[in-house]
Amino acid sequence: MADPILQISGLEVAVDDTPILKGVDLTVPQGEVHALMGPNGSGKSTLAYALAGHPRYEITAGSVIFDGQDIVEMEADERARLGLFLAMQYPVEVPGVSVMNFLRTSINAIRGEDISPRDFIKLFDSKSELLGFDRSFADRYLNTGFSGGEKKRHEILQMAMIEPKFAVLDETDSGLDVDALKVVSEGVNTMRGPGLGVLIITHYTRILRYIKPDVVHVMFEGRIARTGGPELADYLEEHGYVEFGAAEEAAAPAG
Amino acid sequence: MASAIPAWAQEVRDAATRNLASLPALTGEEEAWRFTPPADLALTGAEPAAPGSAGTVTVEDGVRAARLRLADGVPSAPELLDLPEGVIVAELGAALEAHESLVREKLYGLIGFAERPEAMNAAHWDGGLFVYVPRGVRATLPVEAILTASGASGRIFGRTLIVVEEGASATVIDRYASPEVSGPVQASTVVELYVGQGAELEHISVIDWGAGVRHHAMLRGRVERDAKLRSVVVTLGGDVVRVEPTVVCAGPGSDARALGLYFAGGDQHFEHRVIARHEAPQSYSNLLYKGAIQDHAHTVFFGNLIVPPGAPGTDAYQTNRNLVLNDGARADTIPFLEIETAEVKCSHAGAVGRVDDEHLFYLQSRGVPTPEAKRLIVMGFLQEVLEMVSLEELRTELEAAVQEKLS
Repeated sequence: MADPILQISGLEVAVDDTPILKGVDLTVPQGEVHALMGPNGSGKSTLAYALAGHPRYEITAGSVIFDGQDIVEMEADERARLGLFLAMQYPVEVPGVSVMNFLRTSINAIRGEDISPRDFIKLFDSKSELLGFDRSFADRYLNTGFSGGEKKRHEILQMAMIEPKFAVLDETDSGLDVDALKVVSEGVNTMRGPGLGVLIITHYTRILRYIKPDVVHVMFEGRIARTGGPELADYLEEHGYVEFGAAEEAAAPAG
Repeated sequence: MASAIPAWAQEVRDAATRNLASLPALTGEEEAWRFTPPADLALTGAEPAAPGSAGTVTVEDGVRAARLRLADGVPSAPELLDLPEGVIVAELGAALEAHESLVREKLYGLIGFAERPEAMNAAHWDGGLFVYVPRGVRATLPVEAILTASGASGRIFGRTLIVVEEGASATVIDRYASPEVSGPVQASTVVELYVGQGAELEHISVIDWGAGVRHHAMLRGRVERDAKLRSVVVTLGGDVVRVEPTVVCAGPGSDARALGLYFAGGDQHFEHRVIARHEAPQSYSNLLYKGAIQDHAHTVFFGNLIVPPGAPGTDAYQTNRNLVLNDGARADTIPFLEIETAEVKCSHAGAVGRVDDEHLFYLQSRGVPTPEAKRLIVMGFLQEVLEMVSLEELRTELEAAVQEKLS
């Protein structure tokens, strides 16, 4: 087994002084794809934001070792420069900031040196082509007026350009129709490899039909309640989260 | 001022001087002066002493049709580079005689000397820019006037007169800039813009003084039938800056836009009083001012759409938005309407907001450090106005200025 790219121990996180995560232990060896499942409100997205360094998500205890370094005290941009990427559930619209300007600023920051305009366009074009996306993002403002599917595709395009060591996909499947989900999943699959660890956060098993996880974790009430192989997802699809205490039985694929 | 002033011009100066002596001094109690005490612009006191600091300002060189420099109030002849046939670019003081018939008819026509600050400029102006574009001539390259201060003179009075005749077009930049000066410099400027029937004028004021300069800028544009005026005001530098642009839709089908960008930091105080006045039916105006404010700076926007009786079919918009970057910085916005005609379409909006934490986090999560992320957000915020300015180099310049202020 490869060295862990991510090692979370005893992680406790509060949002506005309300404890949400109550001792999360989770390890992802580099190159593996893990799924994090669980009912609404179990703390999945909180984990995603806490990992990425959102200032509202306060880490009150525990440690997060990323690629050998404790990142708990780091700002979001430092974590990103170390190779951590979060594909957001709701990418925000930033008015007036062009996609190209944003991407170039991001790539320069991540690489620590200025990419030439020519190389940048080449990178943009090659990654768009790799993912089967057209160039329509190029002339627009960041996420502004993007459809739900476009926002998610744009997140995946950023991931492809940034080439992180580890990516958290926070409910990337939500709000996508089957075709869009396939496109996004294929994008992730093309990037899959020994140099990329992935944590797919999802409520439903649907996306896991297209991106096969190596390991599945179930989160419930701020802790990892069970960890298993891909078969755990199938089990959840059939039985839901009821046995963990959830009132709902919503692990079945939507649609 | 050149030695020989024609008699008619001297008479105006004398009249303005008499007005100045008889008009009561501004106290700051006046409604229009609530936000920027006239004393802060040195509009009440005696002539400030010449502090005598030195330094020159260097300006990005774009391709220009003509360029004129007014350093410390000393006029010089313009550099004529690539002027279309019939277009006149001259130093205004020299033009009083050289182009008397053209100048005499229009000068003081839009901004006279009835009020105190106007009278002060009319009585004292040192020099300035005169541009005349004859009927049907399209001057594609911009004309630029640069008014600079080194601190060698405590007061600078500049004046611009632009006349664009029927069906003609022009782009003119009035730039006000200096390095940091060691003592106070007071600048007063007046810009009069005549846009003839079916003509088009883009006028850009770039106010980028160093510390130590206070500036009262007055601008008025008159837009005739089916003509277009785009006034852009970019305010970046100066301790206290008050800018008063008024656009007048004087003919049916006229289209007047007053666009503004400002970024105040440190202890800067900027006030923009922007007015659109509709004197003819079926005319369009749009006031759009956006600003960023940081440190302990304070900005005020006062906007007014005036539609007197007899201007049905007026289509008028007014928007002011402010981005406050930290506690302690302050922006006030007062959008106003005076509508006395029925059947008009008017809207006004003013807003003061902060940098959205979610925007900041999104950019940071892509590796962009906070200062760089703020720069992107501020530039993005100003983009709505910038994309309405045709001069590309202004964007580059502004971007650099924003970057410098944020660092």
